[in-house]
Amino acid sequence: MISGEKLVQLVSSLLQQVYALLDLSAYAGILDRVVCAVVMFGFVAVFVMFLVWMERKVSAHMQSRIGPNRVGPLGLLQTLADAIKLTTKEDVRPAKRDKIPYFIAPILAFVATFMGMVVVPFDNKMVVADLNIGVLYIIAITSFTVIAILSAGWSSNNKYSLLGGFRSAAQIVSYEVPLVLSLVPVIMITGKLNFSGIVQYQQQAGYWFVFPQFVAFITFIASATAEANRAPFDIPEAESELTGGFHTEYSGVKFAMFFLGEYVAVVVSSAVAATVFLGGWLPPLHFLGFIPGFVWFMLKVLLIIYLIMAFRWTFPRLRVDQLMDFGWKVLIPVTILNILVTGFVVLLFGKGA
Amino acid sequence: MGTILGYFRNILTGFWNLVLGLSVTTKYLFKKTNTQQYPEERMPLPARSRSMIKLIYDGEKDQFNCVACMMCAKACPNSCIKLEGVRGPDGKRRMTTFKLDFSTCIFCGYCVEACGFDALTFVSEEYENSVYKRGSLLQDEQAMKWVRPPHLAPKPEEPAATAAGAQA
Repeated sequence: MISGEKLVQLVSSLLQQVYALLDLSAYAGILDRVVCAVVMFGFVAVFVMFLVWMERKVSAHMQSRIGPNRVGPLGLLQTLADAIKLTTKEDVRPAKRDKIPYFIAPILAFVATFMGMVVVPFDNKMVVADLNIGVLYIIAITSFTVIAILSAGWSSNNKYSLLGGFRSAAQIVSYEVPLVLSLVPVIMITGKLNFSGIVQYQQQAGYWFVFPQFVAFITFIASATAEANRAPFDIPEAESELTGGFHTEYSGVKFAMFFLGEYVAVVVSSAVAATVFLGGWLPPLHFLGFIPGFVWFMLKVLLIIYLIMAFRWTFPRLRVDQLMDFGWKVLIPVTILNILVTGFVVLLFGKGA
Repeated sequence: MGTILGYFRNILTGFWNLVLGLSVTTKYLFKKTNTQQYPEERMPLPARSRSMIKLIYDGEKDQFNCVACMMCAKACPNSCIKLEGVRGPDGKRRMTTFKLDFSTCIFCGYCVEACGFDALTFVSEEYENSVYKRGSLLQDEQAMKWVRPPHLAPKPEEPAATAAGAQA
């Protein structure tokens, strides 16, 4: 029977032999990290390509269309063709741009979200770095996107970009609060900031946190959608108002980086939601344990990503003031109330409740 | 107190409405798509759609139905029909050449209406009428030859008794 733990052991022993063969055993620590990074990048790139295809298919079928079906089987290679087109495109830059921020912004937008993938546990022990403060780390590191978006908007020297950047900054800063606050009840119950620890707690408790913490789950999904700048919270790049928003002046590879960053942000927040609320690698029923954990994890991630895609193709876009109203007058009070109630329950019934 | 209750009721009804919206789109996700991928899938047009004008050829008698009475050429507002006929050995007129210039034809259907011998008709199955050269639009009787399939055969007219019966 294959499991994530055995897979990791197999790969690492294989790597050890390769290092020994190449006489590189002294650098094994660094090389392991490099291999992890490359594998993770490849996984993320391919997964994002799949997601773009999936989004186009989902949106098409919701509108009684077929969607891409020409390139490759079922149109699966359509995104690859788009990626080739984007990377071979000319890099058009505005003449009066602010050179350094303009160059750094797309890189930062991708890297900041990509670094969140580091602490996501795909299976038991199948994680790049099982940080003790994984939840804190992921929240801190993914917030860097706001800097990327702001500097992209500012350095493009374009009024649409600037407005998009400002809107995005206001939005991300205000939705960061309910995002964190909706994770707090789970941390209060488990007493852990470690993703694997939270999953192990759910394994011992025998239930997933989506059931006792349904409100937190909903608020988390809503604020994660806003964090990723996706519809219905996509006012930073609202086409009808701001042409392209902060990435109006970007083309070619740099635009691809923003695009990739947006989808990786969706993947990261879905992975966090799957880990914290849907039990990560745990099978939904005990007798389904023969299917390896990372398959369950990916299924749960895909479920949440589907939910976020369905949001985009169902709900109309919010106005700026409605967006702020929803964040400050609905999400934050509800999450705080949820924390209060959870606190009472934890006080009354002890930490295991 | 009422306002606080209203606040929560507002949130709950809003949430419920969002769920309803999601259920609609999810329902459509599994419905059949309406797209027809044109070059591979062709839409069967209704039997009476006016896509192309054809000359009816009678397979049993091995001849066109047309008797070159010139009614269609007279009815044509653009004078795009040219035809000739001769009197055959059995004493009946037969069409020898028939030319219809589709570059000036407006598919008004007057010729089909004017035809008293069931010789001209609109067909539904041929609707890709674009050509590479303007000259190709001038079609002769061989290009317009069409054998009526049995299921499209004209129904014998109902006897007048039914109309009288309805009045009675």
